[in-house]
Amino acid sequence: MAIRGPRLEFSVGAFLLLGLASLLVLALASTNRKIGSTGGHYTLTAHFSQIGQLRERAPVRIGGVSIGQVDKIALDPVKFDSVVTLSISDQYKDLPSDTSAGIYTSGLLGDSYIGLEPGGSPDNLQPGGQIAYTQPAVDLIQLVGKYMFSGGGKSSDASDASGAAAPQTGTTP
Amino acid sequence: MPAESSPAVRLSGTRIDRGGRTILRDLDLVVPRGSIATVLGPSGSGKSTLLAALTGELQVAAGTVEVLGAPVPAGSRALLEMRKNLGVLLQGNGLLTDLSTAENVALPLRAHARLPEPVLQRLVRMKLHAVGLLAAADAWPRELSGGMARRVALARAIALDPPLMLYDEPLTGLDPIASGVIMSLIKRLNDTLGLTSIIVSHHVHETLPICDQAVVIANGGIVFAGTPAQLQDSTDPLVRQFLLGEPDGPIPFDAPVRNYGQEAA
Amino acid sequence: MAFASSIRALGRSGLFALTVLRGSAPTRELFSELVREIYKIGARSLPIIVVGGAFVGLVLTLQGYRTLTTYGALDALPTLLGLSLYRELAPVLTALLFIGRAGSSIAAELGLMRATDQIKALELMAIDPVARAVAPRFWAAVLTVPLLTGIFIALAICAGWFEAVQVLGIDNGGFWSHLSANVDFWDDFGVSLLKAAIFGAIAALVAAYVGFNAEPTIEGTSVATTRAVVNASLLVLMFNFVISALLFN
Repeated sequence: MAIRGPRLEFSVGAFLLLGLASLLVLALASTNRKIGSTGGHYTLTAHFSQIGQLRERAPVRIGGVSIGQVDKIALDPVKFDSVVTLSISDQYKDLPSDTSAGIYTSGLLGDSYIGLEPGGSPDNLQPGGQIAYTQPAVDLIQLVGKYMFSGGGKSSDASDASGAAAPQTGTTP
Repeated sequence: MPAESSPAVRLSGTRIDRGGRTILRDLDLVVPRGSIATVLGPSGSGKSTLLAALTGELQVAAGTVEVLGAPVPAGSRALLEMRKNLGVLLQGNGLLTDLSTAENVALPLRAHARLPEPVLQRLVRMKLHAVGLLAAADAWPRELSGGMARRVALARAIALDPPLMLYDEPLTGLDPIASGVIMSLIKRLNDTLGLTSIIVSHHVHETLPICDQAVVIANGGIVFAGTPAQLQDSTDPLVRQFLLGEPDGPIPFDAPVRNYGQEAA
Repeated sequence: MAFASSIRALGRSGLFALTVLRGSAPTRELFSELVREIYKIGARSLPIIVVGGAFVGLVLTLQGYRTLTTYGALDALPTLLGLSLYRELAPVLTALLFIGRAGSSIAAELGLMRATDQIKALELMAIDPVARAVAPRFWAAVLTVPLLTGIFIALAICAGWFEAVQVLGIDNGGFWSHLSANVDFWDDFGVSLLKAAIFGAIAALVAAYVGFNAEPTIEGTSVATTRAVVNASLLVLMFNFVISALLFN
């Protein structure tokens, strides 16, 4: 091994620099840069009759802007609807108490997320409180099936599974 | 600390086993301080095993081995301390290939002596000068000839001025001049630094002139221990065969029957 | 019988790992040895990592394109490229390339040191050979494999970008936005580097153990080198599954 002294140290320094620079550029250009919870969070719960493709860590958005994420998804053993726990950043403490929550998909085949629609009430949702107005996920296949087999009739509320006049094509929630 | 009057090495009733077999038994040997002892014997007679017992690589199965007045320890911390007082010249030299000559010699100094860098460099140069290789201080081990590499290993072995020096086949692969250099160095260093030296070798005629005691190991034990003059005068047939290099005698020409070819490749 | 000896071998390698950690005291000698080892196993592995990364990126993009166009889901190509690289391909492939290049040289060097009595000389000088010869190589591996993985991913993504945007005509802005939207900083980027560090540790430990304990002959050295590569590669693949399963249950 002939390389010694200053040349060795230069090569090692250059290698380390190259490696760290690659990591830095990768982190900035190719990741979502969500380094972590800067600041505190508070939780809210919401009950849904159908969560569709919603998973834990899915984003919670208002008007498309992410304000938190889904912490936990569980089944209420009494009412048999799903209890979703949302973790909202402390920056957005003042959500009106009549805010509604719905489960949407980003794009046609994308991931599910929870979208919040703030209401106009002067009272605010407290940490640990429950969002009263919820809208379940839309089962696309079921919707298309209903539309096709009901001859393009009334666009029924997709969450009303029992009220379908047409034969079911998708899985019943 | 052991008294200065205790011998450098003392073996009494020692038996050394390796791999389940007894290699050497009933060893009784005393090497006085300041003397040079040569351990001679045919190949495979157990000379290296004896060295291994002295360095602590092998534990004795029976009897005692005392080095510098204290038994060779078994525990690792005590063994490390003992080895700092030991200088060993190995058959393969054992020079670290990624270090220069000077850095090789500096190894024990850096590891065990807390010295300012300039002092350390001076010491290294002194040791290299003692073996006549000051000019090769910045050479790489692969650039050195066999004899020069061995001298560097010798300089490294005496770096900490150990009171006891062990030489494992120091003349292997050396031409007559290089051999002469090594033997004269062993003698000179032993006398000027007040060391005790034990040389394991089968080069009888090069080592006998400088040693104070000759020990012959054969047949699993010591068959002779005495001065070189007594060795030359010995009438023991095995010693005579060894000294004269006769092809047949107590160690026969025809190899003995053994279970050859049984070991897995 | 063979099972018992494998358990003993596992135990011995565990003890070896402990001696490596014990011999890792931060001294100036360790640091200068570390710098030299980073050069030998890190910087000198760059060519194979760079070339490997580029070609993996190219072929991943190509095959991804072939399959995704069938479903009209070309939008997912950057995501496919990014996630397969970060989650599995980059840590594993970098580790395997590293094992082939640097793992084999670690085993060979230590085996050679054993065969030329260098290790014995250190022991007889009361210098811990594991601290001097093995620990620097171990820490150099733990440090450089994540860096090499990062370089691999960077090259692969650049090559993939070139293939996707310049050759196959995918939109440039869409490429970067889809990629960065779907690669999580901790779950993908962070885990990728963690895996890489673990794989580097495994590679160095296996190679060092096999080389350090090789028979002190020429044949022993060559056997050690081969065994190091095979065992280290297998362990990396096994641990890759275990880590992925544990973290993302």
